[in-house]
Amino acid sequence: MRRLLPALLAAAALALAPLPAAAHKVVAAIFATNPAIEGEVGFSNGDMAADIPIEVVDPDGNPLGTTRTDADGVFLFTPTQRVTHVFRADLGAGHVAEITVAADDLPADLGQQAAAPAEGSPAAATAAVPADLDQRIAQAVRAEVKPLRKDLMAFKEHKNLESILGGIGYIMGLFGLGFYLAARRRLNTR
Amino acid sequence: MHIVDGALAPEVVIGGAVLAVGGLAMGLKSLPTEKIPAAGVLSAAFFVASLIHVPIGPSSVHLILGGLAGLVLGWAAFPALFVGLLLQAVFFGFGGLTVLGVNTVNIALPAVLVWYLCRHGLQSQRPGVAAAWGALGGGLAIALTTACVGLALALSGDQFLPAARLVFLAHIPVMIIEALISGAAVLLAHRVKPELFATLATRP
Repeated sequence: MRRLLPALLAAAALALAPLPAAAHKVVAAIFATNPAIEGEVGFSNGDMAADIPIEVVDPDGNPLGTTRTDADGVFLFTPTQRVTHVFRADLGAGHVAEITVAADDLPADLGQQAAAPAEGSPAAATAAVPADLDQRIAQAVRAEVKPLRKDLMAFKEHKNLESILGGIGYIMGLFGLGFYLAARRRLNTR
Repeated sequence: MHIVDGALAPEVVIGGAVLAVGGLAMGLKSLPTEKIPAAGVLSAAFFVASLIHVPIGPSSVHLILGGLAGLVLGWAAFPALFVGLLLQAVFFGFGGLTVLGVNTVNIALPAVLVWYLCRHGLQSQRPGVAAAWGALGGGLAIALTTACVGLALALSGDQFLPAARLVFLAHIPVMIIEALISGAAVLLAHRVKPELFATLATRP
């Protein structure tokens, strides 16, 4: 056993040294709901899920439509009904992601886009301002924030040594407890 | 290899949980005091092994070590692997809590099958023969696990053959690596602790 221990420690050190992020966890996020629902799907190591069909259903499972991710794993969906939207992506081999957008988070002017510009007076008062200013600002902010979001996602999925050692500690403690209980039972019956 | 929350039909999740509880009861009953430390060490090894990734093609797969756990522990592999899976789900978000039962069965059941198949071969006096049985067990456990994952997906609506073939092909490198690791572990155990597999066989 004494010879075995250094070998085990060396193996553990080798095993722990290159710790890449897990590739098999699917992450999905919604990052805009106005005017269309925009979200992304990918693996937790930063690979995005390109060209994956996304199924959109309501909470009862009734289909609302479908969409596809682009090369960056980003998908767009324009809601037409004020119900909770559930987005399902199936990446195969048991990798699925599901994200929900509550009905309250949908754009306020849903289905009224055609009616809005017709109201003459407010538009005339702000004639110097481009009509789609809100959207342009939203787009610019989205583009600026995108790398930050990616970093945040990578950070959330990062596994540090502490949690690994913590997990091993839990296992040792749990089995130690089992060992204690078994030993006590044996002592009592003796 | 970990199926995530929401991928499976409720019937499969419940069925997996029932099977896992049965396996856990069986494992705890057949876990003698002397084997508890071994179960703990293998549970910890399983917990860490999933963090070691083997990049293949666009994706990557990770080690499982289910076969080795089965060869040493027999039915006691159920509690050992269950604890490892539970902590992986809590700490790293691998798999999920609702599919814990299915994942436990997918990994621990092949481990037990491999134990029944290989335990006599492991007691061979010749280290080479025992190591070969260990390697066979390590590789076979992964192959059976991919079949179980494919079956769980098939019962939930996927086509069985495409789903199983995809998982199986992705894990061929893992099978080879695990066969080597299990073979080497059995060889090492033969050198330094030859009674390991013999005592476990007489007292399953």
